[in-house]
Amino acid sequence: MAEEQKQGQEAPAAAPRAEGAPSGAPSGGRGGPGGSHGGPRREGGPRREGGPGGGPGGPRRGKRQYFRKKKVCKFCVEKIDLIDYKRADILSQFVQERGKILPRRMTGVCARHQRWLGVAIKRARNIALLPFAGSAAGSTAPRAVEAHKS
Amino acid sequence: MEERLYDLIFIARPATPEDEIKKVVATIEHACTEKGGKIEKAEHWGTRKLAYKVAKHREGMYYYHQIRTNHGELITELERRLRVQDSVIKYMTIRLDEDLKRQKKLTDKREKRAARRPRRPAATPAAPVAAAPAPEQQAAS
Repeated sequence: MAEEQKQGQEAPAAAPRAEGAPSGAPSGGRGGPGGSHGGPRREGGPRREGGPGGGPGGPRRGKRQYFRKKKVCKFCVEKIDLIDYKRADILSQFVQERGKILPRRMTGVCARHQRWLGVAIKRARNIALLPFAGSAAGSTAPRAVEAHKS
Repeated sequence: MEERLYDLIFIARPATPEDEIKKVVATIEHACTEKGGKIEKAEHWGTRKLAYKVAKHREGMYYYHQIRTNHGELITELERRLRVQDSVIKYMTIRLDEDLKRQKKLTDKREKRAARRPRRPAATPAAPVAAAPAPEQQAAS
């Protein structure tokens, strides 16, 4: 009984989310099919357990509870077949300030382009267009001053 | 041996007189003509900030050449000449033709696919999915 109540509470909560943000429809839509199935046992499980239980509840959707914007590969969108190592302005978007290559999960670059991107960044590093990790300019000087004070 | 395309970049000291640079560029050109290479592009990128210190310099003058040749020894020759130049603090040669070949292949593939299926709007599959949850939501509430 308690689970049914919970369901009743959640259904209206999910509805405005979907209305407010049309792009959030997949996450809101997950509640819909679950309710129509009428399986309170199944519905209760994933709610308590969280992430892993979401698999059997909605394998078709396969979405997580919280909404995350889908990242797309910038190079695929722009149909770039060759990542030029000379374009430091583009490459610098995919490295941290210190020169670390950003992981795919943060930038949304596809596997193939990430591979080429890595090669391009390493080439750019060789010719001093991009820094090697840890060799940021002026990083040692302020630290030395701090050491003096203390 | 088939023809190969190389990128040659060298960085000169920021305060190098122009004559010196001209001399370096002349040696490159001379070596190219001697060994049967062809300079496809020659660019001067100007003085740029270096990402890290090179030979105690924070800035450097970038010179870029694209060379087409079918003699690999030309590259070793060029690198040797750049190495002995005092005004050159860094240089790099990169073979490009294989990357360009791959790029061409992919571009051709994409064009072929586009030609085969001239109209395949990406919005069509997304629209029913977006529309479907809305009625369900209304039914649930």
